[in-house]
Amino acid sequence: MYYIDLAVTGVSFGCMYAMMSVGLTLVYGLLRILHVAHAAVFALGAYVVVLVANATGSIALGFLAAVIVTPLFGIAIYRLLYEPLLRYRPDVPMIASVGLLVLMQDAFRIMFGEQGVTFRQNALSFTTFDFHGVTISAVQIALIVTAAVVFAGLHLFTTRTRTGLGWRATVSRPKIAASFGVDPVKVRYLNFAIGSALAAVAGGLVALLNNLVDPSIGFVVSYKALAIIVLGGLGSVRGTLVASLVLGLVEAYGTIFIGAWLDRDAIAFLALIVLLMIRPQGFTGARTA
Amino acid sequence: MSAYTISIVSIIGINVILAVSLNMISGFCGQISLGHGAFFGAGAYAAALAMVATASVPLALLAGVVAGSVLGILVGFASLRVRSDFLAVSTIGVNFLFVGFVRKQSWLGGEMGISGIPPTGFGASGNMIMILLLACATVVFSLYVSRSWMGFAFRAVGEDEQAAATLGIGAGAYKLAAFGIGTALAGLAGALYAFFTQFITVDAFDFILSVMLMAMVVIGGIGSTWGVVAAAVGLTLLPEAIRFVNDYRLLVFGGMLVLVIRLAPGGLAALVHNLFARTRKA
Amino acid sequence: MSAVLELDDVAIRFGGVQAVGGVTRTVDAGDFVGLIGPNGAGKTTLIRIIAGLLRPDRGKVMLGGSDVTGESTSARVRAGLALTHQIVRPFREMTVLDNVILAAGIGYTSGPLRALLHVSRRREAERAMEILGSVGLTGTERRLAGELPLGQLKRLELARALAVDPKIVLLDEPLAGLNHAEASRQVETIMEVHRRGITVVLVEHNLEEVMRVCRRLIVLNNGVVIGDGDPWEVMANPAVQEAYVGSGMMAHAEA
Ligand SMILES: Nc1ncnc2c1ncn2[C@@H]1O[C@H](COP(=O)(O)OP(=O)(O)OP(=O)(O)O)[C@@H](O)[C@H]1O
Ligand SMILES: [Mg+2]
Repeated sequence: MYYIDLAVTGVSFGCMYAMMSVGLTLVYGLLRILHVAHAAVFALGAYVVVLVANATGSIALGFLAAVIVTPLFGIAIYRLLYEPLLRYRPDVPMIASVGLLVLMQDAFRIMFGEQGVTFRQNALSFTTFDFHGVTISAVQIALIVTAAVVFAGLHLFTTRTRTGLGWRATVSRPKIAASFGVDPVKVRYLNFAIGSALAAVAGGLVALLNNLVDPSIGFVVSYKALAIIVLGGLGSVRGTLVASLVLGLVEAYGTIFIGAWLDRDAIAFLALIVLLMIRPQGFTGARTA
Repeated sequence: MSAYTISIVSIIGINVILAVSLNMISGFCGQISLGHGAFFGAGAYAAALAMVATASVPLALLAGVVAGSVLGILVGFASLRVRSDFLAVSTIGVNFLFVGFVRKQSWLGGEMGISGIPPTGFGASGNMIMILLLACATVVFSLYVSRSWMGFAFRAVGEDEQAAATLGIGAGAYKLAAFGIGTALAGLAGALYAFFTQFITVDAFDFILSVMLMAMVVIGGIGSTWGVVAAAVGLTLLPEAIRFVNDYRLLVFGGMLVLVIRLAPGGLAALVHNLFARTRKA
Repeated sequence: MSAVLELDDVAIRFGGVQAVGGVTRTVDAGDFVGLIGPNGAGKTTLIRIIAGLLRPDRGKVMLGGSDVTGESTSARVRAGLALTHQIVRPFREMTVLDNVILAAGIGYTSGPLRALLHVSRRREAERAMEILGSVGLTGTERRLAGELPLGQLKRLELARALAVDPKIVLLDEPLAGLNHAEASRQVETIMEVHRRGITVVLVEHNLEEVMRVCRRLIVLNNGVVIGDGDPWEVMANPAVQEAYVGSGMMAHAEA
């Protein structure tokens, strides 16, 4: 049963990684920027969820507030930080992004303390179900269900709606999309808004899972997300989904096999570096001389 | 000189070596590395082990330099294969891997690190003088490199590898050289750090340190040796001089990084340069 | 006459496009060859393969009698090849002079260690000034290359190519974007280069100039050679005329 428990853990973490990473990979696809500060958005989402939930007594209100606040924040990052830096080489906005992450993380520490914040009432965190000896927590179910709903919704949005189609077209063929009258700036706003909201939901669920939000919540996840989007072939949503789930599972099982000599959190990077050595252009990149 | 002053000056010296060496990789040669802490750490661990085993300062220095540069050249090979934005992610990965690996190794002391590193025998001020001499040597070397044909070729490779190739400059060899030199110096700094603290844990070499070093390079003005030296000294002293900065170190450094890139992407060196240009014209 | 450049069945395909479809050609030392063809014929692609910037799917490239197919671009440049890019690629953050000095210092930059051991640039600077003079860029030396207009950047490309002291230069549309006076001046420079014994391969849409200066003409269409030989005879070839019909090139040449 232990192995099945691990699979549940792996899949639920994979779902969290996927929601976290999809915004990152889309920003890369659109702007060629590694949006490291996406992790700060993730953390912000987690804080908003816990603070609003504690103030109002409703976790649902917490999530609602988070998906309103973080898209605005994501758009602000684009407008104020990235847009003016687009004409420089991509390393420049990336380093600014790293600076923003470090700054925000410290700001969370200063405002809400080193120890972080816990939910005042959080029945969800401690509810577990038992299926024939396999334990699964309510939050894990929530992670998996939310991710499934979110990605199904995203799929419908990008295949059925005008706005969604324009968005997808802009990510893959910016010039052609523009010639069909898709406004690239609007697409960018949309992209930051949706990506940020997804990260916030992931952050809130992780907060529920741990029953804690501390300043480092976004930190490790964020770097893993960077590894994931490279593994998934930068800019590809499907690749990111697959890479996230694979990483979640590999981490869950990897702890048994290589946990003795390598930190669990470093596994993603081992995979990343091995992949880049074998396929320097990522899974799906084009061939160049 | 008080013990406090000696320790501050020593740390400044070590940070100058680290920032100037990172500047050779990222500033001169345009290879963005966000994992400089790993090479620093590799040097520190190697030097610590060598000290514990032999108590010989020259051997420990050598061990630090070799460990830093071997790891660096390995990463340099990666830089030959991947695009520049992949490289930044890979170097972050190297930093996490280094920390994640060392933490689990009992022969490296695991979480507890290595303590009881034998003293160099020079005393605290003797160590400080050694650190300062090596820091000065590093600065002089960096200035020399930037004036030599190597620095010239680095700039070309950093700006456009294909254009460099059409002038007969093979980017690969130069990128490896930049990584080799820069990480050897980081390893040297690691050895000095091990002498200075006589006690190392892996947390001293984490990704945050790498970000701090990148902040020094960017704020000083990427590519400018003097700008980077000034930033390394300033950013090391700032938290000591101002209590607020010490409590909110990451807030301040992160904020400065964002502001400098946003308002003056060329860093302090470019600001000073422009100021001079303007006063000269006036 | 000895061959400086030999191509043996060189081919490359991009997705569905066979950009170069098996080209076998030899260029003799001291020749002045025009390489022409309609847009998308594969001229730039062929040049990039010769320079090692693209790896062909098959075929061999020989320079001065030795096979360089597996060699890097920089190694080929060191073996006597130089090229100008159709889309200019100066080092924008360096001065015009530094751009050319760097090329003239090819003897120092063969490897990092050698480069580390040399500092003086005096001789290279003198040579760079001379070359800048010969392409008509005197007066711009101190400016950042990124600030120059396209016409001057085209000349800077040529200056850098000459500074590496090549045996053969591949010029990809060195006249595009130049006005009439600038173009004839640039052609004069190229002819002077040729007189010094350097083999020239010139890709150009300006047929008037091509017909005036080239001694041999190779016509490419859809990645294959459809004409090769004396320029006037080649242009009289019906297959070549056919390829140009509709592209408006003939009219351009006659004008
Ligand atoms: N990197 C690439 N990827 C995909 N297709 C390419 C690439 N480079 C060139 N092509 C295609 O190969 C064909 C030949 O292009 P090439 O640039 O060599 O033509 P050209 O003769 O130089 O044309 P022009 O006169 O317009 O410069 C074209 O169909 C072009 O679209
Ligand atoms: Mg072309």
